[in-house]
Amino acid sequence: MNGASPVLIGFLVAAAAILVVMAAIARTTIEPPETQAVVTSAGYQLRKGWLWALAAAAVVALAISLPSFPYGKSATLTGQHFTVIASQYSFELPPVVPAGKNIVFDVTSKDVNHGFGIYDERGHLIAQVQAMPDYVNHLPLRFSVKGHYVVRCLEYCGIAHAAMQGAFEVR
Amino acid sequence: MWAYLVTGIAVFALMVLVGLAMRMEQAHWVTYDPGSFYAMMTLHGSGMIVALALCGMGGLWFIMDRERPMDQGLAWSAYALIVLGVVAVILSVFPGHFGAAWTFLFPLPFVGATWPNWATGTFLIGVALVMLGWTIFCAQLLGCVLSKYGGLRGAMGWDLVFHHDAFVASGRPEPPPAAFAALITAVDGLFAAAGGMLVGVALIIHWLDPSVAIDPLWAKNLTYLFGHTFANLTIYMAIAFVYVALPRYAQREWHTSAVLAIAWWGTLLFVATAYFHHLYMDFVQPRGVQYIGEVASYLAAFPPAVVTIFGGALLIYRSRMRWTMSSMFMYAGLIGWLIGGVGALIDATIPVNVSLHNTLWVPAHFHTYLLEGVTLFVFGWIFADLEVRTGVVSSLATRWIAGLGIFGGGAVLLLGWYVAGAASVPRRYAEEPAPGPAIAAWASVGAILLIAGLIVCLIEAVRLARTRSAAATP
Ligand code: HEM
Ligand SMILES: [Cu+2]
Repeated sequence: MNGASPVLIGFLVAAAAILVVMAAIARTTIEPPETQAVVTSAGYQLRKGWLWALAAAAVVALAISLPSFPYGKSATLTGQHFTVIASQYSFELPPVVPAGKNIVFDVTSKDVNHGFGIYDERGHLIAQVQAMPDYVNHLPLRFSVKGHYVVRCLEYCGIAHAAMQGAFEVR
Repeated sequence: MWAYLVTGIAVFALMVLVGLAMRMEQAHWVTYDPGSFYAMMTLHGSGMIVALALCGMGGLWFIMDRERPMDQGLAWSAYALIVLGVVAVILSVFPGHFGAAWTFLFPLPFVGATWPNWATGTFLIGVALVMLGWTIFCAQLLGCVLSKYGGLRGAMGWDLVFHHDAFVASGRPEPPPAAFAALITAVDGLFAAAGGMLVGVALIIHWLDPSVAIDPLWAKNLTYLFGHTFANLTIYMAIAFVYVALPRYAQREWHTSAVLAIAWWGTLLFVATAYFHHLYMDFVQPRGVQYIGEVASYLAAFPPAVVTIFGGALLIYRSRMRWTMSSMFMYAGLIGWLIGGVGALIDATIPVNVSLHNTLWVPAHFHTYLLEGVTLFVFGWIFADLEVRTGVVSSLATRWIAGLGIFGGGAVLLLGWYVAGAASVPRRYAEEPAPGPAIAAWASVGAILLIAGLIVCLIEAVRLARTRSAAATP
């Protein structure tokens, strides 16, 4: 299974819940009808609660996600730097990066936009950043698991985009 | 403007087949070279967005023209520009083989191209023509809304919100819900077109004179400002159809409230600012903008969730609903919109985006609200017209068959993308790593069922249309 699976399961549960609720609402049309005024006044009451629930959910999601933003603070950009240069259709990569230390990938491109996507041995996408010409994106990381990592291009870059791969070791 | 709708549906039908051909290639059911795959991907992406936009424009024009008649000549010239643009885009792809995707992210159209230089120019000029036609349409729509409802203040429902009692006492007409959809489409549409034109013209100049330099980050921002906003507006245009048609079937009224007006102000703002989520993985982008991207993406969900979809559900609840092909599609479209929106919100959360950005999760969520949302609103609109004119309602069996194909087949197609996206399979890969191809195989089965449902729908629409002409002849 995959690191993104909780996300998939959460989504599927939400989708199923939406389907059930909306189907239940559709089914009420076979019940004896109710006047619109009665339905709306009850509905507007419910809507207030719904609005607050959504607002609370949004605030919680923001609060949880903020500390895990991938951009790093200037303090985390001080580890050992490794240059990554993407070009149609390959990556220039360091062959080995250290495990258990703060490192920074300095990622750029020689030609068009590419994506630098790091896949672990289970095939999970664990980190990514765009590789853009004229710019250097700094990706701070800390590998806790040693092993062989595959890099795939994650921005459409032309005819051999799907074949654009690289690899490095974490030791 | 039936020409808009008919052209939109025709382009849509062609692009559905292109989509199927792509999914089947990813499933290894058919094989062709990646150059053809990416040319088809370019065509499918741009063609579908324009197809839905054309349908939305046609319907919205019709709705607003009843409010205040609009100039036919202008509408036709906008239409002509768009059709010309579509023809240019098609020529650039076939036979031109242009394949830099509908997002034509600079400098991709120019570097390492496997297509001739003329194809690049033809594509860019085609896109510019579409934008020009779109601009004319938006300007016309804006003029219509503003003149009918007393300028921006009236059309925005300002007094309705802030001087409610005085407004009601004055007896001035409030803009109907569909007018808000029209206003927001026009304003955000002009905004998107300005951004798109800027980057489009810059690229055309670069095509003419390659020594003219363009900043890739600047181009990326404008490309997504345009692409995101334009694609989103196809939803907001089609919402006008729901506002107009669904109440007829529920035998209730959908009128403008202060809350509805405020919701549309939110949409006006957040549709135009949420595009930053396309640049989450550009770490050189100013940090503040990334926060704005996440907040605006969340906030963009509030108006639909709290007002339009909630309002739609309330409209149906214990009403004397007449379930027909049209009302079934409208209601199902609200569900698809909501579910796709959940997929979008998940992806708009930056730490999650790290493992979903540019994976198949992206086509998963946008196909959910484009295919099982906007497309259904358009079908619902067309059937609403046919049902009203003929007084004929499709049989329960026909509705079941169409529904099973479109929702059942569609669900299988969409699930394939969600599952593969969660499994880190990248999007826009002609040759996907495992488990991509296996998933693509059952997704293709879903797509075929979906297309079967669409064909049933088409046959039924033609049948109704012919009943109509039969009824019209004495
Ligand atoms: C039978 C229905 C459809 C099928 C089988 C289909 C299939 C596909 C496939 C295979 C892709 C490429 C995904 C990837 O690997 O990255 C794609 C992309 C896309 N589709 Fe569809 N699609 C369908 C309907 C639609 C509809 C209704 C719309 C919108 C109106 C749409 C808009 C797009 C867009 C904008 C892209 C992105 C192209 C790009 O990445 O440049 N599709 N579709
Ligand atoms: Cu690439």
